[in-house]
Amino acid sequence: MIEGNKYLTKELAQLIHDVKVGKLVGSYPISKYMLENLLTIVNSTTWKTADDLMIIVRETGKILINALPQEAILANIVRRCLKIIREEYDELNMPQQAKQIDDSQAASLQKLVTQNSERSEKRSDYTNSHVDLRENLINHLNEIENELHLSHDNLSQQAPEHVHSSEIILTLGYSKSVEKFLKSVPKERKFEVVVAECAPSCRGHMLAQSLANAKIDATVIPDSAIFAYMSRVNKVIIGTHSVLADGGLRAASGAFTVALAAKHHSTPVIVLVPMFKLSPVFLCNFEQEAFNLVGNTESVLPYNTRVSNAIKAYAPVFDYVPPELITLFISSNGGYTPSYVYRLLTETYHPDDYELK
Amino acid sequence: MKDLEIQDYFLKIIEEDKNMSNGIAAIKTLLLVLERTNFTTIQELVNTIKSAVSSLKNSGKPVTSVCSASELFICFITLASPKLEDKTMDEVKTIMLNRGQTFLKKLEEGRHVIAKHAMPFITDGCRILTHSRSRVILETLKLAARQNKHFHVFVTTSSLDNEGAKMVEELKNSNIECTLILDAAVGYVMESIDFVMVGAEGVMESGGIINRIGTYTMALCAKEMKKPFYVLTESFKFSRLYPLNQRDLPNSYKYPKNSEIRDDFKKIHPLVDYTPPLKITLIFTDLGILTPSAVSDELIKLY
Repeated sequence: MIEGNKYLTKELAQLIHDVKVGKLVGSYPISKYMLENLLTIVNSTTWKTADDLMIIVRETGKILINALPQEAILANIVRRCLKIIREEYDELNMPQQAKQIDDSQAASLQKLVTQNSERSEKRSDYTNSHVDLRENLINHLNEIENELHLSHDNLSQQAPEHVHSSEIILTLGYSKSVEKFLKSVPKERKFEVVVAECAPSCRGHMLAQSLANAKIDATVIPDSAIFAYMSRVNKVIIGTHSVLADGGLRAASGAFTVALAAKHHSTPVIVLVPMFKLSPVFLCNFEQEAFNLVGNTESVLPYNTRVSNAIKAYAPVFDYVPPELITLFISSNGGYTPSYVYRLLTETYHPDDYELK
Repeated sequence: MKDLEIQDYFLKIIEEDKNMSNGIAAIKTLLLVLERTNFTTIQELVNTIKSAVSSLKNSGKPVTSVCSASELFICFITLASPKLEDKTMDEVKTIMLNRGQTFLKKLEEGRHVIAKHAMPFITDGCRILTHSRSRVILETLKLAARQNKHFHVFVTTSSLDNEGAKMVEELKNSNIECTLILDAAVGYVMESIDFVMVGAEGVMESGGIINRIGTYTMALCAKEMKKPFYVLTESFKFSRLYPLNQRDLPNSYKYPKNSEIRDDFKKIHPLVDYTPPLKITLIFTDLGILTPSAVSDELIKLY
């Protein structure tokens, strides 16, 4: 289906390939690559007006969603880019009104009441061409790239506020944000980290290793011991794959177990999310397309065992964690509660771009 | 316009179009008032509108959405007026009437927008529980059926006036599989359904809703059995009340106007109840899919 699409560039195909074969892993490298890709598109001469550009960007987004539906970050970066194009265009087109428009992008009751019929229709027209648009866009996208680059640092700067002396912290699997976060706690503070290994991939071992190298007290426990261990844990700090529009998580399988155990013991659950992981997507039902993935089951039940042809084995990759189990999100610019996610979404993306299809 | 004329017109348009929400009818009536009155100052206009609103409230129809919609309409006039300072009153009137028409059109489209938002949540083979009759729900379910989705709907009778039976009738006409259940059977069917979907007469600032009596019971059951509880409602039903319990609801919302024993409220069966925001999973509105806490945000932005 994708072949023959004129928007499918070599770079894009490379990105899809790299993610599929597991060469490009982790949300940061993927989003960085994606942003560079978008910069090339903006830089290229194939577009004349903002409208043209938005079509190209949106088509690119569609290709990616079809090829890699589980990588929510890709779509988010595309949405962010579309919003930037809208903003820059509006600024050039009607500089004196730009400020007014800024806070009225999402549909709101206020807009419903105060709108003037003529202007609301004009807003969807992006066909005027501007000389400065390209340059402004490149500058703005570079800013975003910078923001992306610094997001982990900004996140981990907040570590001293959340981790205190002689605390026991539980985490799950391996998350780059969590690793950096824990390592940025001042060295004088002695605290203990308990890492649930997150079978079958057991990426938790990697985290424990890395923490131990940084002279942080680390303990690995099997996933089955999460509940038993929770009673002495002071805080749960986990990363996530993406945050959904209701404030729920799409996180590594096992996160729900952790969150439920934490709820039982009233232990606070803190989730580290760089801004680009916020997705304007709802979990409508559990059979939702591309919500979950099934991973390799070799480590659950080796293929060459005697029983393997008689029984089934599954290794789902993700868990949905409902918002009421989460105490706090920490993003690059501070902490917020799950109920605030909707607000951040309206600030980060344009409502017309929620659906890229 | 005389009070009686206003009421008559209001009741007439409700009668003519059974699909019209009371709130929309109220706004239509108020637009007519705006067209018919001659005013020399905005203040005078606002006063006329306010007295028209109070006569609408006395018309005997459920007042919850009438209240919120007319409050929105007054906002619509007062927020617009500073921009019109250098115009004559005649010009102001035409501008307002024009804008009023677009405003009304936006509100009338609301239901379609909500139905579209809710579409991904209705999937093949799902079982839905709903309470009584709601036009938004009906429209949403019909749209889902038109998209060839197969699902089953359980509808409570809502024994006060058997609105549920009417709902089932209408669903059957659209070839949607449905079952009419007793109000008391909510707990029984709860384990077999996928989610609850109800309409609302009003949405409070807390994010909670006012709806046909029995909604709160349903929300409690859904919470207990961990089923999602979705509310579908138009944004003109957002109002600035902040009830903390059932008693806090204004009596005019709870009891029908034209019942005979008005003095002894406690003996009359209330028509509506309040469902607090903690029991609600998501609110689908024409402004998008909101979490209950987003409602107060919208209201703060406006008032």
